[in-house]
Amino acid sequence: MERRLHGGSAPGDAVTHRPLSLLRYAGRRAMLLVPFGATLVVVAFILIQLAPGDPILLLAGDGGTPEYYAEMRAHYGLDQTLSVQLGRYLSAILHGDLGRSMSFQRPVAAVVLERLPATLLLGTAAVTFGAMFGLTLGLLAVWRPHGWMDRAIRLWTSLAHATPVFWLAQWLLLVFAVWAAWLPVGGMTSARGVLSGASPLGDVLRHLVLPAVALGLSLSAVTGRVARASFLNALQQPFVVAARARGASDTRVLFAHVLPNAVVPVVTVVGYHAGSILSGAALTEAVFAWPGLGKLLLDAALQRDVPLAMGVFLVGMLSVVVANVLTDVAYHALDPRLELT
Amino acid sequence: MRCSIVLAVAFVALACENVRSKPPATTDRVTVVVALGTEPGQLNPAITTGGGVHPITDQIFNGLVGLDEQLNPVPELAERWDIAEDGQVYTFHLRRGVTWHDGAPFTAADVVFTFDQVLLKYHSRTRAGLGPALERIEAPDDSTVVFRFKYPYAPLLQRLDVTEASILPKHVYGDGRDMLTHRANQHPVGTGAFVFSDYVRGDRIVLDRNMHYFRPGLPGVDRVVFRILPSAATASLALESGDVDYISSVPGPDLTRFRTRSEFRVVQSTGGSGGSVCQEVIIPNLARPPLNRLDVRRAIYSAIDRDFIAERVYFGQGVAATGPVSSRHPWAYLAPATKYPYDVALANQLLDRSGLRRGPDGMRVTLSFAHAANQARLADVLRDQLRAVGIVLRLEPLDFNAAVDRVFVKKDFDFGFASFCNGADPDIGVRRVYSSSNIGPIPFSNGAGYRNPAVDSLFSAAASTIDRAKRRELYGRIQSLVTEDLPYFWLFDSAGYRAWRATFTEFHPWSGAFMEAVRPVMP
Repeated sequence: MERRLHGGSAPGDAVTHRPLSLLRYAGRRAMLLVPFGATLVVVAFILIQLAPGDPILLLAGDGGTPEYYAEMRAHYGLDQTLSVQLGRYLSAILHGDLGRSMSFQRPVAAVVLERLPATLLLGTAAVTFGAMFGLTLGLLAVWRPHGWMDRAIRLWTSLAHATPVFWLAQWLLLVFAVWAAWLPVGGMTSARGVLSGASPLGDVLRHLVLPAVALGLSLSAVTGRVARASFLNALQQPFVVAARARGASDTRVLFAHVLPNAVVPVVTVVGYHAGSILSGAALTEAVFAWPGLGKLLLDAALQRDVPLAMGVFLVGMLSVVVANVLTDVAYHALDPRLELT
Repeated sequence: MRCSIVLAVAFVALACENVRSKPPATTDRVTVVVALGTEPGQLNPAITTGGGVHPITDQIFNGLVGLDEQLNPVPELAERWDIAEDGQVYTFHLRRGVTWHDGAPFTAADVVFTFDQVLLKYHSRTRAGLGPALERIEAPDDSTVVFRFKYPYAPLLQRLDVTEASILPKHVYGDGRDMLTHRANQHPVGTGAFVFSDYVRGDRIVLDRNMHYFRPGLPGVDRVVFRILPSAATASLALESGDVDYISSVPGPDLTRFRTRSEFRVVQSTGGSGGSVCQEVIIPNLARPPLNRLDVRRAIYSAIDRDFIAERVYFGQGVAATGPVSSRHPWAYLAPATKYPYDVALANQLLDRSGLRRGPDGMRVTLSFAHAANQARLADVLRDQLRAVGIVLRLEPLDFNAAVDRVFVKKDFDFGFASFCNGADPDIGVRRVYSSSNIGPIPFSNGAGYRNPAVDSLFSAAASTIDRAKRRELYGRIQSLVTEDLPYFWLFDSAGYRAWRATFTEFHPWSGAFMEAVRPVMP
């Protein structure tokens, strides 16, 4: 993420051509990642194949004869050498074919696309919650720096960041789904169907709350800490002193001057998490039975369903790339002083 | 901001489209929600023994026979059967008037097709177990099926229930397409109590009542929803909150909570589609010293406190094991004469005599234990117990698939672990573990590498003896011989707990078709 402060040209030029330049910049960044992505695909394929275990065991089951297992391996092309399998896979993906899932017996693209909306929904909700809650914590902390609220927030963010997702998820379920009975335990919609009079959208949102909080809480802690540090730094800057000298209120100083100038590091943190939300969501999705890509990747890896694991991996890689590019673009959109290189 | 709202609504709308439920609104129909731990992937029970498929498909399909709680055959698609005196010919008279879910009539041709074209080719256990003995299957008319064997074959009836041999429709699968990728594997058509309705991958499988089921008055509920809940802890919470009505495995720490509350029923069972009459077993590698020596194995087995393991590791979901057949088996178990009670002093004496003397650190030898990570609690207890006799257990936790590969395929271990299910007949689940012809890169085979020609002969004799009393005697002799040789360390005869909400009754957890008779409890 290379950037430097804008230097010689007149500010008006940069502003006039900014949208087009941003687009070109995003394109250039994305293109740079093509060779990197290809290398990752090869490495991931080899690593998955080298992991001990046999997909035929879970596909076919136990108690067969050696001939039977040999026939099944041949059927799925698993009797070929690693290089032959890799060559076939690369050739197929170059033709837009992600292969066929062994466990689902369906095209990988169809299986992955089916799960993508659920993960996007959970990821978006978790990142939105994490970013907004974190920013709020940061703002509250610097309202009276080193006061009791600041100290309480720092303690809270340390605890929230250190809490394991699995443990947190179990407690959320116990408190809000079992004891209070406000929210459902798992899944994305009610298993018995939507209650008469309730909307399907409301049903999904009720199921979304707990996994989004579990997944987003750690992000909120990191965002809160980064925002606090960035805001404190901005509060020392001359433009804040100048604003105060002009008689601006604390609220105006914070929202009109500090927030816009200190938000870039927060975007970095949020952007990083947004990209990696797919891999981070696997555990959350498993605990809350959320039908997304994270759980799919976990299942595919445990069952040694190589085409499916690779398919989810490709989507995960793409989401990291897109998030990185969007983060870079966001920097420049938020801070016109940064030059596009 | 407006853009974010539009995006959020679009995501929710897409997600709703993916996780749709049919029909969208709750009606007066009686629905049972069952927690399912494993995603099935596909729904053809005749091409896999995989644990995720059968809990669902056993409600959609039928076998020629069913099995009662004592694992005795009872009529299902076959209403009666005759066995020739020489035990080589079984004639099944099929139930008339049975139809497939799509309305086509069920006939003997479906049975012959299922065995010849599917089970004997793709079902690992049926192909390995039934295949070598079977001469041919014939359908002399639409309602008669004849199995002819090369020699007398006793365990046939126990191999014909819905879990071991679901019958598929010839008119659906007989189109010449690849059986492993057939489109009907995603939209199964059966004869069973429930009709397939919907499979929302990662979320649920929905089955509806078969209005034309051949058993009058059954099933007792309108809809079954299998909710995929991979975490057992979450499934347990879902039962408590009322989000699900039935869980097939109760986590040990939750047992007391469910037992003491009147809104739940907790039942212990050895059977079901996940495997019946199972034993948790430590597998010593008999090809490696010092485990190739009987005196060392006897010492180590005596150092393992199986009662403690039964109580503390498995929370009393079964009893300490004594030999190669589970004490929960309804007819094949005979208490072996040779017993190995927990005796640390004796174990130390035997190890001293064996020449495995303690070193300066007080330890005799280091042995590895390759096991699936979900057996971590057992591994910790074993490590502590063996340390008391000077054996260092080096724990090697792996994921399930890798553990099976290490023990059964690569055979790179000192101790391994497996849950071996005896099955409805010892010929199905016991023989494969002790037969010398089953040593090879085969999952859940004779992983220890045990060879005893006398045991091999007795297994063959038991399989070809029709009279059950004589078979019981033969299996008794097998148990004596094997217990004497101690090729495995039998830890625990399991009988897991199932729990359900008391608003429903008549779950039959011993049967694959455990949902067939379920009905709501009338207030």
